[in-house]
Amino acid sequence: MTTATAKPSLGDRWSKAWTRDRRRIIVAAVVAALLVIGLGGLDPEDWFVTIMRGLATGAITFLVASGLSLILGLMDVLNLAHGELFMLGAYLGWTAYIRPDTTVDLLAPILITIAPFALWALWRPLGRKVAALGSRWAGWLLVAVGLGGWWWAWRLFPLAIWDPSVYAESPITFSLAFDIGTLVPLPAGTFGGPALIAVLAMLVAASIAAVGLVSFNPTGSPRPSAKGIGASIVALAAGLSILAWREGLVEGLFAMNPTLRFFLAGIVSVIVISAIGAGVEVALIRPLYDRPIYQLMITLGFGFILIELVREVWGRPEFTMPKPPAFNGIGEGCPGQGIGDLFSGCSTIEMFGARIRTYNELFIVGIGIIVLVGVSLLIKRTRIGMVIRAGVQDRHMVEALGVNVRVVFMGVFAMGAGLAALGGVLAGPSIGLSPEMGGRLLLSALIALAIGGLTSFPGAAVGAVLVGILQQIIIRYGQTGIPLPWLEEPFKPSPPLVPASTVLLMIVILLVLPNGLLGKAEH
Amino acid sequence: MSLVDLATTRKPWIVRHRLLLLGVLAAVLFPFVIAIVVDGAPISAVWENADGNAKFLQGLAIEVVVLALYAMSYDLVLGVSGLLSFGHAMFFAVGAYSLGILLKSAGLGLVPSLLIVMGIAVLVALLFAVVLPRVKGIGFALVTLGLASVTGIIISSSEFKDYTGADVGLQGVPSPDWLNPTDQRFRFYLVSMGVLVLVYLLYQRLVDSPTGKVLVAVRDNEDRALMLGYSTFWYKTFALIVASMTAALAGSLHTLYQPIVTPEVAGLGFTVAALLMILIGGVGTVSGAIVGAAVFRLTEFYLDRWFEGLSNLLIGAGYILLVLFLPYGIVGTWRTRSNRIGEGRSRLARLLSGSKGE
Amino acid sequence: MSLLSLEAVNTHIGQYHILQGVDLEVGAGEIVAMLGRNGAGKTTTLKTIMGLHPRTGGTVTFDGEEIGELRPYEVASLGIGYVPENRAIFADLSVEENLRIAERERGDLARSIDFIHDLFPDLARLAELPGTSLSGGQQQMLAVARALVPENRLLLIDEPSEGLAPVIIEQMMEAIRSISSDTTVLLVEQNFVVASRLAQQYVILEEGRSVAGGAMADLVDDDETINRYLGAG
Repeated sequence: MTTATAKPSLGDRWSKAWTRDRRRIIVAAVVAALLVIGLGGLDPEDWFVTIMRGLATGAITFLVASGLSLILGLMDVLNLAHGELFMLGAYLGWTAYIRPDTTVDLLAPILITIAPFALWALWRPLGRKVAALGSRWAGWLLVAVGLGGWWWAWRLFPLAIWDPSVYAESPITFSLAFDIGTLVPLPAGTFGGPALIAVLAMLVAASIAAVGLVSFNPTGSPRPSAKGIGASIVALAAGLSILAWREGLVEGLFAMNPTLRFFLAGIVSVIVISAIGAGVEVALIRPLYDRPIYQLMITLGFGFILIELVREVWGRPEFTMPKPPAFNGIGEGCPGQGIGDLFSGCSTIEMFGARIRTYNELFIVGIGIIVLVGVSLLIKRTRIGMVIRAGVQDRHMVEALGVNVRVVFMGVFAMGAGLAALGGVLAGPSIGLSPEMGGRLLLSALIALAIGGLTSFPGAAVGAVLVGILQQIIIRYGQTGIPLPWLEEPFKPSPPLVPASTVLLMIVILLVLPNGLLGKAEH
Repeated sequence: MSLVDLATTRKPWIVRHRLLLLGVLAAVLFPFVIAIVVDGAPISAVWENADGNAKFLQGLAIEVVVLALYAMSYDLVLGVSGLLSFGHAMFFAVGAYSLGILLKSAGLGLVPSLLIVMGIAVLVALLFAVVLPRVKGIGFALVTLGLASVTGIIISSSEFKDYTGADVGLQGVPSPDWLNPTDQRFRFYLVSMGVLVLVYLLYQRLVDSPTGKVLVAVRDNEDRALMLGYSTFWYKTFALIVASMTAALAGSLHTLYQPIVTPEVAGLGFTVAALLMILIGGVGTVSGAIVGAAVFRLTEFYLDRWFEGLSNLLIGAGYILLVLFLPYGIVGTWRTRSNRIGEGRSRLARLLSGSKGE
Repeated sequence: MSLLSLEAVNTHIGQYHILQGVDLEVGAGEIVAMLGRNGAGKTTTLKTIMGLHPRTGGTVTFDGEEIGELRPYEVASLGIGYVPENRAIFADLSVEENLRIAERERGDLARSIDFIHDLFPDLARLAELPGTSLSGGQQQMLAVARALVPENRLLLIDEPSEGLAPVIIEQMMEAIRSISSDTTVLLVEQNFVVASRLAQQYVILEEGRSVAGGAMADLVDDDETINRYLGAG
């Protein structure tokens, strides 16, 4: 009981760190030296651009990797659908941004569907009766009937939507139309029957499905909470008012400042994907916590479904997402001079003799830093963060202390999905939308995690930035070529070597440091 | 001889393998039945390799055999030994491409080529084994995924276009006349069936052998196996070598049968296919891999035919339902059932013979 | 009346049948020691009470209410604190945070912190340090202190003296005694001397079954039972 209370001196701390983390420090130094040498071979203005681009790639990778890392650390689940959540986030963002009319049409039935679900407790007496039948199949049957009825009602709702198989009405065309300013609302759809029947049918179908779901766990009070009733009324009212005032709403959204609409689209996408993430945890991951390999499989299967869904709805070809106009200006007064002109509306600004794109290299990196700081604060300073940090080590003990870990799991899964969606919306304007974008990014994110330490949040950031910068250096050398003494022509790494280089970095680092740069040994 | 004796005596080989023998018989008769019933052709159509449903379905069956061998090798790695490898496709791709290159570019015969391919397969397995002691669990999954994707990148990179055909794929591999996949379809079919039966028997023996028992022990609790004095590393390396050789063999058959080998066989998607197949059949059951491969290929084929664009969506949904509702796969579930039936039977036997059981 | 009672509790871990019929009664205000050899199922019994291992048979009743089906956090919210065998101090949390995470309601820590610091003065001094930098004894103190943060009516303490120096064992015993003035304690203890000095009642487990129990005062003189169930071998 004689622990020294005096703070150890800096020298002491260094020598301690050195003996404990010698290998880590050496590897970090070697990697840093390699990056410096790599950058040193470029022209001065080149290396600044390359670093900025690397940071931008790193920021997107980080947004995917951070959620992956939180989920992996807390729940031991490697969510292989994370890339697809990123992709779906981008597509939803595009839809809310470029096609507010379609979004509004989608919102109404979704809000109406939420209403019966918000009254969860109300269905418990019925659910108990269903559960009393003895077989879980009764519950599943109700869910299936509810889904079928819902689908029928859904078809009655009006929906102004594109058609990916017709070029003139495909997302590609709409993106182009937005860029040249000729985007107009689609002709409004009409109800396929009496509107009242459609709405009622949807409410009934959703209630049936809710009873089916409740029957799996019908214990508890049959009285809905005030919050539940409130949410239900708000959802229903919002859904109905959207139906009633659709025209005005669509006009208003089209008249809105497009950059603001872009931000709004981002928020919508993040909320929707977070909800999907929470649903995935509850429905697919939770039944399988004692069978980890099956969790891998099921997330993989879910990812397949999302890819196919996106191919069906938005079409297979790649298309662009227009940049928000505030970061896309040219002409008068452009390019901007220095960081002060970030919000001047120019698409590029001059910094250190190099031309930096405001959206790709500054805006994305800025959001990435904000998220890094925000989530770090959340983890370090809040009670939720405390529970997460403790849960990563021993979730059973956390639960034995009286914390409902399941709710925390669901929340973290939702947050991870939301971060991925944010990454998707941000990446849309810079890398374009394609059903395959998720798979590529998941690979980068996994590599970043392996480099940084699988379950370490700062590790995710370090790994993502390293992967991003390395990728951009190789891309840059692919254009300029590396003069090698034994070759006549400078060696130009071909594009496939970009992922290969990061994979090799990962393998080397994992062999020297099995837990990555910042990871801890498994307990 | 009492009923009790009946329940405990080891049955003769032919009884224990009655399902396998029936399967082999059915497989041999299958083309003839199709030829007569569906095509309405004479029996001779089969060995004359006349075009028709019989020939087409034999081709589909050969594809199933290739997948079954590949899935079985993955079951040895994941199901029996418990190694989470995401780079299994590399074993297959290396086999497929090296056989193709040896036959086409080096102009070697089939037998020496196959021998060299097996040697290469051992080397690839050793490459995986090198990382074994360093990284565990998800780390191993990521490193193997990395190794496989580097292989995929090399295969599809333009630098080696002359040998691998890059993005397009490896085409024009000469197959020996006596084993031509079109002109000698029936022979190819019989040979591939034979290979599958041999490898299956070998795997059964391996899993039942002391080595197999140790592998399972390592999977269930590596620390305990280590404490018991087993060098778990060498057991796992052995499993990797056997699996790599089997997958390379599957890859070789693939190259011989398919007119074109694409770089996709090195991708994560192809490892996932293996995972899917053993999941359908039942992880760790060996014979489940064959069932899984058949179900996988046939569903894929017919879903594609009937639903076209939606087929992948349905496969994904089926996959999720499978994991949630049939977690032990077809063979696994069937075994648990028949165990229960078996238990009931032996209880009955005890009752009848008057001995007191628990 | 008894605060906690277990009747014919069975627990499986995987395919192993660990608890095969455990009965025990813990009266309000008592300290009950659970004794038995290694692997007798003592830790599993505590975990079963907490809901950390699913019970496969029998009933667990706390304060007249069946709790066998509840999830661990629900069990804890009834007022049951758990001090596990390995102490389970969170390495990434400071000492202060290790206590704060046990709050079930805002203000729990503020209410109990003085009592905790009276019991374990060390913890006040170490509040800012990370959990891992503590010595074994300090970790044990923190683990016990963590269970004192919310208002618990029953503490389950697993091997509080394991691996500690005699001086610290004395301090720990003193702490448990003063806790027990208003909290019931179910204690798992290998060290018979410690157990006999603390507890009023005892239960002995053998191969997953409760085989003996009664007043500690009687057990101390009962050499036969001690040798049979607790002696070496």
